[in-house]
Amino acid sequence: MSLLNWIIFLPLIGMVVVLVAPSEMAKRISWVTTFVVFLLSLMLFPPFLDGSAFEGGYGDAMQFESRTTWIQIGGDQLSDGTYEGGLKIEWYVGLDGISFPLVILTTLITWLASWTSFVITKAEKGYYALFLLLETGVLGTFCALDFFVFYIFWEVMLLPMYFLIGVWGGKKKEFAAIKFFIYTLAGSVLMLVALIAMFFASAEATGTGTFDLITLATNGAISTYFNDPSHTFLLGRSFASVMFVFLFIGFMIKVPLFPFHTWLPLAHVEAPTPISMILAGVLLKLGAYGFLRVCYPIFPAAGEQLAFLLATLGVINIIYGAFCCLAQTDFKRLVAYSSISHMGYVVLGIAVMTDIGFQGAMFQILAHGISSPMCFFLVGVIYDRAHHREINRFGGLWLQMPKYGSLATLGFFASLGLPGLCGFIGEAWVLLGTFNAPFSWAKPMAVVAAFGVVLTAAYILWMIQRVYLGEKKEEYAGFPDVTARETAILVPMAILAIFMGILPKYTFMLMNGSIDAVLDVIKSTAGTAAVALGG
Amino acid sequence: MTTVSHAMLAQMWMPSGDELSRIAPLFSLVATLVAILLGALAVGRSARVSAGIVTIGTLVTGILAFRGLTEFSGPWQGFDGSGSGNSPMLVADAFSYFFMLGLSIFMLVITGMWWLGQQSSLPEREVPRQDPVEFFVLFVGSAFGMALMVSTTNLLMIILAIEMASLPSYGITAFRKQNSLAAEASLKYVLFGAITSAIMIYGASLLYGYFGTLDVATLSAGIAQAYNESSGGSTVFVTTALFAFIVGIGFKVSAVPFHFWCPDVFQGASIEVTTWLSVASKAAGLGLLLRMITVLVNGNSFVTPQTLDYMAQAIAVMAAVTCTVGNLSAFRQTNLKRLLAFSSIAHAGYMLMAAAILWRPAAGIEATTHPAFSAILSYIIIYMLMNIAAFGIVAMVYWATGSENIEEMSGMIRRNKLIALCMIVILFSLVGLPPFGGFIAKYFLLFAVWEGGLQWLVIVAVLNTLISLYYYARVARTMVFTDSGKPDLHVPLAGQAMVVACTLLVLLTGTFLAGNLKSISDRGAKNLYAVAPVSKSVQTADASGPQAALPAAPEDGDDDSVADTK
Repeated sequence: MSLLNWIIFLPLIGMVVVLVAPSEMAKRISWVTTFVVFLLSLMLFPPFLDGSAFEGGYGDAMQFESRTTWIQIGGDQLSDGTYEGGLKIEWYVGLDGISFPLVILTTLITWLASWTSFVITKAEKGYYALFLLLETGVLGTFCALDFFVFYIFWEVMLLPMYFLIGVWGGKKKEFAAIKFFIYTLAGSVLMLVALIAMFFASAEATGTGTFDLITLATNGAISTYFNDPSHTFLLGRSFASVMFVFLFIGFMIKVPLFPFHTWLPLAHVEAPTPISMILAGVLLKLGAYGFLRVCYPIFPAAGEQLAFLLATLGVINIIYGAFCCLAQTDFKRLVAYSSISHMGYVVLGIAVMTDIGFQGAMFQILAHGISSPMCFFLVGVIYDRAHHREINRFGGLWLQMPKYGSLATLGFFASLGLPGLCGFIGEAWVLLGTFNAPFSWAKPMAVVAAFGVVLTAAYILWMIQRVYLGEKKEEYAGFPDVTARETAILVPMAILAIFMGILPKYTFMLMNGSIDAVLDVIKSTAGTAAVALGG
Repeated sequence: MTTVSHAMLAQMWMPSGDELSRIAPLFSLVATLVAILLGALAVGRSARVSAGIVTIGTLVTGILAFRGLTEFSGPWQGFDGSGSGNSPMLVADAFSYFFMLGLSIFMLVITGMWWLGQQSSLPEREVPRQDPVEFFVLFVGSAFGMALMVSTTNLLMIILAIEMASLPSYGITAFRKQNSLAAEASLKYVLFGAITSAIMIYGASLLYGYFGTLDVATLSAGIAQAYNESSGGSTVFVTTALFAFIVGIGFKVSAVPFHFWCPDVFQGASIEVTTWLSVASKAAGLGLLLRMITVLVNGNSFVTPQTLDYMAQAIAVMAAVTCTVGNLSAFRQTNLKRLLAFSSIAHAGYMLMAAAILWRPAAGIEATTHPAFSAILSYIIIYMLMNIAAFGIVAMVYWATGSENIEEMSGMIRRNKLIALCMIVILFSLVGLPPFGGFIAKYFLLFAVWEGGLQWLVIVAVLNTLISLYYYARVARTMVFTDSGKPDLHVPLAGQAMVVACTLLVLLTGTFLAGNLKSISDRGAKNLYAVAPVSKSVQTADASGPQAALPAAPEDGDDDSVADTK
């Protein structure tokens, strides 16, 4: 079994161990498992950097590929035992510059979240079992290159998340859990329809249907057929636009994009801190990753047609999310809405389909993947002590807890997008990319989105002022500063936030090759579609 | 023992050894039935003896069916009724063996459930303990009827088989004799069954009266003729007759709007009977429908594409409505058996979706196979596993507490972890979430439906999946999120083993064994299209009246299909 397969399934093995081991051992097993997974994922670095990850077309640069046939139905058996035609579902995983950083992010954040989970005391066995199952689901989704496998892992995440929120959550946990479940499933059933439709369409195009996401994007016959505007589908719309919209809705619910964002604040507020960290740090990224892996490489022409709408949705997310933040009095809810606002940049960067836009979006994904778990953890730290999250009741915490105050300021400034910290680069790149995009509406859009930066500064600074600055309060007099464990969890995120902010080129270096490859695919396919249009 | 003398029997009918071996599983079922009665005569009314005989008989049936499945490749049709019609009475092919194999496994499970129920401490009013002989006779009788339903293409036999399956079912539904719910359920069941049967028999009589044959394959050509002439009257007439048939089958599979009996019967009957009806009755109804459709459609003699489309759309609409009504009605249920009843209606809807596709042998689909067949068979297998586990858990909760309310599941995760985990897996498999077997089966189904060209139906199905999540999740929620401090649940070991085994199979078929599920189903669906041509060579020429206009069924094209069956 290749290293990547081990990384994906090690948490599952850990889950089994948790289930059979005594309950007191659960947290240690989970910690060790997630840490080993993290170390294993770091071991991917040297071969990744040495390999041909940065050259060649889309799919050529795929590293750590592992591929075997899983289900084969029908088709003709060839002399070498392989099959041609029929319904073939493959176990096909691999990493390129888009998924590789996300896998590292996932293993890191999950490890930190596992450590954060030490405060959980209720039904630990069940908690850590579900927690590890969740990690397998996430890693599998990032690594899968077969759409069917991608879909399965995508759904595998739902169940653990449902129970993690529903059992270990706050007051309205049940409602939050089922709302999360139904919203996400609504998206994934649309994805299921697209999955089936794309298989048959690819079968019509080449004679052999496929779920291979790379082939679907790069095979000339398939992409020509998929993006042919005269190939109509439901209600006379073109096949590409219907599929794109189905997939996009599926992914946008996860991001989450206005108007499907309402599950997120609820889920975040009710979920326990470590689950919020994973939700914000990793799960939301899956939606954006889906855009980059599935929607755009396969249906670029539809993406180009709908660019204005999608960019608008992104900008609405930025501005609307920021305004919502301003109105919040619940600390955690504020951070949740800030996630919505920040993910707006990701969508905007992707929607304009430029080189810089994509890079900015990817960077923003990673930056937010670092800063938002940090913010949620910071909220969790104070919630564990104060048992409330009313922003207006806090005050003077920096004086009371100096180490905590400093780290908190760093984390929130990273989220704010202060130059020198990770958040800045992503937002700046997205805005630059939008400004330079070849659409007539791009420049005004960039200007509007830029106001989001101001609003972000406003709500974060105002929050810092209310929570951390000011005189010490009597109510919080006895609060101890961050413990060694809490510091150990915060420091890696803090270091990464600074590192990515000061030396962004190393992060960009990992992904730029793949982003260029995706853009090449998009350009060539969109070009063919334009020819088919006659223009 | 019988009153018919051997001489008479020999005169009427002399089955050859080959014929006997072909229909051996059917014989085995009948023999079991007789053996139960004889056993009661010999040793008195003993639950142990009756259950033992059923177990042995079922095992033998299963082995014989398995042997049939592995030994005989092509279809076999036989027992041409002497004289009128010349229509083969019975069909034995991979599909019927496959069905009987599944049926006998399921019968074993039901017998086990019945036995476990006897051990519970509930009063007689809740778990009937008297009359085991009658129970098993009726039970095996209905099983025999169901086995017949998939083993014939003869109108008369179809009706007999449906009645053979239905009448004992009415009886076993009412077996909780002191329970008024059971009496009510049985009465509703009888009334619904009687009316739908009457309608179906009327349809059959129309067909027979018009075409003068009982053989569905021969009818196929006649129906084609009627439509092709498009002489107004006969088209309406034939359509009416066909729809009358669909009413009968719709009742068996509890398709909306013929589903009203289902929740009441499921609630009123004792739980092993509910489990039995929820899977076997539906599977038999679907099997009959598949058989009818393949024979009617086969060789493309069944009229214009437009008419095919008409039938396809009719079934498709029925499927969509069934699914949606089933799922929406399940929302407000508080009784687990009723909830599962509506869930079973919804699942029947999913399976009917694929049946709709069978009316259109789309281009590119090989003559001898159709992805929708094996998809339906996969779905039935998974559905059986899921229902055994779900009803098994409900039964064990019921035996322990005497109640079937969702509230009884409260705090299950504390009261019995293993049962709670199994139930969660089963519930989300019923929703159709990966990585469980329910997803793979549903996926095969939707895949076939999409390939068949009814894309809108796929969208209806996935939306239904979404709707169904809510009520299945409600049960999971009760087990995990709430706890009203009920005592720990102790379950019989055998029951627990059965539930765990089914759950593991559901998990495995969703992951590693997904391909095997498909190949097993393919085995059962093999050569289903090959049945008709053999019988089509049997012609009705001696009839007079309107059917005289009936042309000889097309001989050409048939041979190709036969050749395909090896």
